[in-house]
Amino acid sequence: MRSIVRGTQAVMGKAWWWLRQVSGDAAYENYLRRTRRGEATICAGPPLTREQYYLDVLRRRYTGVGRCC
Amino acid sequence: MKKLLKILFWIGVSGAGAGALGAIAFERGEPLNATWFIVAACGTYLVAYRFYSAFVASRVLALDSSRATPAERLDDGRDFVPTNKWVVMGHHFAAIAGPGPLLGPTLAAQFGYLPGTIWLIAGAVLGGCVQDFVILFCSIRRDGKSLGQMAREEVSQRGGMIALLAVLAIMIILLAVVALVIVNALKTSPWATFTLAMTIPIAMLMGLYMRYWRPGRVLQASAIGFALILFVVVAGQWVAESPSWARVFTLSGPALAIAIILYGYAASALPVWLLLAPRDYLSAFIKVGAVWALAAGILLVRPTIQMSALTRFADGTGPVFAGTIFPFCFITIACGAVSGFHSLIASGTTPKLITREGHARLIGYGSMLMESFVGVMAMVAACALSPGVYFAMNSPAGIVGQTAEAAAVTISSWGFPLEPQTMHHLAQQVGERTLLNRTGGAPSLAVGMAQVFSHTLGGTRLLGIWYHFALMFEALFILTVLDAGTRVGRFMVQELLAHVWKPFGRTSWYPSTLLTSALIVGAWGYFLYLGVLDPLGGINSLWPMFGIANQLLAAVALVVATTILIKMGRLRWIWVTLGPMIWVLSVTMTGSFQKIFHPNPSIGFLAYANQLAAKLAAGGLPAAKAAETARLVFNQRLNAVVVGLLAAMALILVFEALYEWFRILSKRAPVVLHEAPYVATRWAEGD
Repeated sequence: MRSIVRGTQAVMGKAWWWLRQVSGDAAYENYLRRTRRGEATICAGPPLTREQYYLDVLRRRYTGVGRCC
Repeated sequence: MKKLLKILFWIGVSGAGAGALGAIAFERGEPLNATWFIVAACGTYLVAYRFYSAFVASRVLALDSSRATPAERLDDGRDFVPTNKWVVMGHHFAAIAGPGPLLGPTLAAQFGYLPGTIWLIAGAVLGGCVQDFVILFCSIRRDGKSLGQMAREEVSQRGGMIALLAVLAIMIILLAVVALVIVNALKTSPWATFTLAMTIPIAMLMGLYMRYWRPGRVLQASAIGFALILFVVVAGQWVAESPSWARVFTLSGPALAIAIILYGYAASALPVWLLLAPRDYLSAFIKVGAVWALAAGILLVRPTIQMSALTRFADGTGPVFAGTIFPFCFITIACGAVSGFHSLIASGTTPKLITREGHARLIGYGSMLMESFVGVMAMVAACALSPGVYFAMNSPAGIVGQTAEAAAVTISSWGFPLEPQTMHHLAQQVGERTLLNRTGGAPSLAVGMAQVFSHTLGGTRLLGIWYHFALMFEALFILTVLDAGTRVGRFMVQELLAHVWKPFGRTSWYPSTLLTSALIVGAWGYFLYLGVLDPLGGINSLWPMFGIANQLLAAVALVVATTILIKMGRLRWIWVTLGPMIWVLSVTMTGSFQKIFHPNPSIGFLAYANQLAAKLAAGGLPAAKAAETARLVFNQRLNAVVVGLLAAMALILVFEALYEWFRILSKRAPVVLHEAPYVATRWAEGD
């Protein structure tokens, strides 16, 4: 029984993680984590605030074809 | 033992898929159950993914997961970001899944369920998935370059410009046709109009929430937005039942067209965070949720297919749109099987997120399989309706008349029995005054979805709520396509005008923004308005034009893909892209020729223009009607010119590619492949 509960929790946890990643809800946390680790090339300089980062994501997303017919 | 089990498993899957396909194709006596469609589609998809996509990945493209992708080499934390493959697949599917695979199969159901279903499945596994996969691979190997850039570098200088113009043309026609679908769904329907109108303030509220109160909290804002949307779907019924409020939200076709044109202009000039982005989030969730709910509902309810395998309209006399199965079934289905537009997504954001080349198979090929499945669901929902109801909803007034009595007489004479009371009763059940002449496919799909959902939850008591929920879901993401498309079209016009005067190219310069927005909205608004006035319903002209433009873009993408395969020395395998390319070109060219020159006025633009011009010349029309007829004559001729230009552009690119192939294969020109140089990945297998 306990293993079923644990398995269900694991599946739900993964689904929640995926939903947050796909929706962009976790984008700022990912950005901050990568900035701290110095993984990406733009990470030099102070990190953007959450609001700045959100606006930056939207600006880049809607300048090209991002939605299909 | 394990190997034997695997072999037995795949024999079982193949057998189930082939058996179900056989049942769909050859069953003529007993009514079919929707389960056969699901088994046929899923069985074919599994086999195609396991074997054909693996063959394309290993032999044709030779994907190399030891090679660093642009996301690894150029990682800037913004555009190039290494991302989990399932997350990229979710992004990619959300981007490619639009209204096309829902509406196209619904319209193509007029031929019967068989031609459309076979094309949805076969066209996807052999054409659409291959196109998306190969273009994604090509773009990964070129640092995420766009289709236009690849056409310019690998085919010819002119190739890039042709791709840009083709995209602009498809965008204008697409926006006009989806706007027309909304108009036909909302006209004289206060419930639906109120619900859709309310999505605007709801999206703005979400925009403010994500901008100021809780920046970037997408899930919280979407949950609030979804709750409010559900509330306004229910509240729409109260509005429809209130005489004073119902009058406010009861709009005619032309009035709705003008409202949507004005809205499109305003929305394209507003900041993205206020309206476009929040509605995009909301519509993406509702879209994916509604599609899964429909799939689950069909599995649970297993509706009986009421449409026959082939209807009498295979001869080209269809009331939904005129034309024979070849080429019009393929042009109409478009996105559900092969979509040229996907090549823009596959050479846009997606290649910049992929961590390993090997993931391109799942993301490129796999996502398109899911899109095809959405198309099969739409086909099932349309064919589960009584054929009489289907034709009454999807035929224009010019063909079946404006009253249920007239429509019942005409449609019954075609061999699809229909009682006027059936239409009255159904309209009453879904809370509408009438369901007649609602061309475009959205309302009939909404009725099909509502019947599936109401069988699962709520019964006929909730049919009206489900119908308006389904209609709102379709209209919501059509509006998102309208906003996003107008904005992208604006950027393209700005890019073109920058060649005339540089400041026009500055996207942040307000005079340029206002002017180019007006140009792009004016272009699709013009086609929309004329479509609303067209007595043949507008969809008859505009949807085939959209299909032709879309398939033309697919031909461009497949020409680029084939050229790259030749340059890579994979001549032996070029049939993988050359086959679909020849097919798509045959369809596009035949369709273009027929739409321009066919002697039947309901098919050929010029024949229709001549018929109207003769009526005008004969005199006797009242002044207002004469002016409207003159406008229609001009519009039909304009349609002919647009289709002719699209076909000419495709042919120019094909001939340029053929010349390039000849020079390469005869060794008259050196092979110059514009791939980024090989760099070994720093990541271990499994990262």
